[in-house]
Amino acid sequence: MGSSVAGAAFAQSALAESSANAEDGYGMLVDTTECIGCRKCEWACAQENKLSDKPVEAFEDPSAFEEPRRMTADAYTVVNRYDIPDQPAQHTFVKAQCMHCLRPACVSACLVGALRRQPSGQVTYDAWKCMGCRYCMVACPFQVPAYQYDNALTPVVSKCNFCFNRVQNEGKMPACADMCPPMCLTFAKRSELLRLAHQKIEANPDRYLDHVYGEHELGGTAWMYLTSRPVTELGLLEFDAKAIPDRTEPMQHAIFKMGVPPMLLFGLLTVAMKTFEHKEEE
Amino acid sequence: MLRNVLLVISVICLSLWWAHRAAAQNAMPPPSETGGDCSPCHYTNTPSMDDLIPGRRCARPRESDPVAPKGDSAPDVVIMNQLTDIYVPVVFPHGLHANMENMGGGCVVCHHHGESGKIVSCRHCHSAETTADNLRQPGLKGAYHRQCLACHREWGHNTDCQLCHAKRTPGQPDPKIDPTDITGRLHPNVSIPDKRIYPTPGLPDGVMVTFQHKEHVDLFGKRCVDCHRKENCSRCHDTVAPPKHIRQNTHEDCVGCHDVAADCTKCHMNGELPPFDHARRSKFALKPYHQGLACQKCHKDNGIFTGNKTDCASCHAADWFPSSFDHAKTGLTLNEAHKDTDCLGCHPNGLGKEPDCSVCHDDKKFPKDVPGTLAAAPAPAPVAAAAPAAAPAPATENKAPVAVAEAAPAPDKK
Repeated sequence: MGSSVAGAAFAQSALAESSANAEDGYGMLVDTTECIGCRKCEWACAQENKLSDKPVEAFEDPSAFEEPRRMTADAYTVVNRYDIPDQPAQHTFVKAQCMHCLRPACVSACLVGALRRQPSGQVTYDAWKCMGCRYCMVACPFQVPAYQYDNALTPVVSKCNFCFNRVQNEGKMPACADMCPPMCLTFAKRSELLRLAHQKIEANPDRYLDHVYGEHELGGTAWMYLTSRPVTELGLLEFDAKAIPDRTEPMQHAIFKMGVPPMLLFGLLTVAMKTFEHKEEE
Repeated sequence: MLRNVLLVISVICLSLWWAHRAAAQNAMPPPSETGGDCSPCHYTNTPSMDDLIPGRRCARPRESDPVAPKGDSAPDVVIMNQLTDIYVPVVFPHGLHANMENMGGGCVVCHHHGESGKIVSCRHCHSAETTADNLRQPGLKGAYHRQCLACHREWGHNTDCQLCHAKRTPGQPDPKIDPTDITGRLHPNVSIPDKRIYPTPGLPDGVMVTFQHKEHVDLFGKRCVDCHRKENCSRCHDTVAPPKHIRQNTHEDCVGCHDVAADCTKCHMNGELPPFDHARRSKFALKPYHQGLACQKCHKDNGIFTGNKTDCASCHAADWFPSSFDHAKTGLTLNEAHKDTDCLGCHPNGLGKEPDCSVCHDDKKFPKDVPGTLAAAPAPAPVAAAAPAAAPAPATENKAPVAVAEAAPAPDKK
């Protein structure tokens, strides 16, 4: 009976997720054609989230671009450099961070509700609830969450929280967007950003591919990218429009639907046990 | 009668109703009618010039309505001190950039917005505070950085902040800015190559095109910008990328003056094109009488040299022939000793050029010594005055200076 209660709770949370007005939340539009790879967003992020006390000069080292990097426990965001074929001296820079999915797989995977998607669009993490199972790290299709492996006693999962506190309580835009010198990060409501993105594509068809990465990918993400080259050349993974929880949850929830499947299972077990009990007595 | 009046009244009523309806459709309803909600028509709750109504964008003038640059009024040095929290103000050598504008697309590349031709500063439109209301338009910080980096990033391959921003030392006073340091800095003169040879391997009967570059500039009076339109800095400055000297669409550069559709072999040849020779090209030798004249003296079409008729009367008066030339018309009446001297005896460098007395005299020199009597008012510039006089052409003479003025480099008014 206990499992059926848990199933109902799951179903309820899933319902709450899907009813959240995804269009209304905040988003960020990254214009990769404007990014100059100055890594000031990395510095601003580290400052804002007190991830490291590295001086700004530490973020000006070009050797960081030699290998593509992933987010780490002390870096919620990284900028990677991608070569442009036939143009040896030109590069495209792409900022990576949590995409803040509209239907986040990490939230679906989190057993204890430490990760949740806020109605305002941010996918936030509550270290107090986290039990350290790291299912979110496995679930994330963008391979975003990192973990404090070197912290033996109080390790936490680390990922961009879209400056939730800064945006909601201080009324500012996220630190990275605030810092970006060429302002290639545009922070606004997601629906407005989508309109802006398509306006930009329409106005500059030679500059941008007609694809807003994150508009439909995995059910849509709050962070979206405008690119001049196919996303696969820029370290962004290709996905179809179906959200991850839409693949996993129907199966998981079907097992507990209205408590019928588990009761059926227990019933069958009981019948089987009784049958075998009688056989042994005979 | 009544029927007609009723008909007219009803037609008037109908048209009034129609006009009212049309006006109501076009007019913006007052906020009281919509309850303060602008969203039915406007994208954002606080509409701006750049983000108005769906399907309708601000009629912001871009390249179609460029600003009119005033060469002398452009500032030489601009100090950008609007955003100075980490760095000291940026000293921008505006004159150096404006100096090259005509080859790089004009002032409008940076000053892409001008109200009735007026140049406005960046911060006139781009506000320092980023607001969510005008997402299409980057804030001032973004506008500055994008504008500079669009070129500097492309050819410099360097996005170091310190390239433009001197860092501010905490607790220390800012280093003093000395704009006179860079005042008057101009782009160094661009060297003009003698010729360029473009291989055109696709054509079996013409494997190369020779472009006599220096000739086009010095002889034909072409300005750089006549061919180098919409150049960008990286074409010359980019030292990392492979050289981009080969022009993308050469036909487009030549089509202004040459008929590229007519005969390919005029340009595409199997050998190098020798320098321009009037006799070879037109079967009309310039020697001796027309040598030294500017092309435009005879070819009046500005920039494009079409063939002139070769008989004297097509330019000169009908009854004119070389032996009837009256030197007195130049302002100098020749004395008896020089009256019958051959023209080239005194003008070995071409008619209209200054005479050279040393051919016969060791101790004479023009204009100190004059072989005759000068008219009351001596010609102020002997060379310029002599040029038309050497080949007097009454029919068209008075128009010649205009043609020259037109052909002279004028400020680009793109």
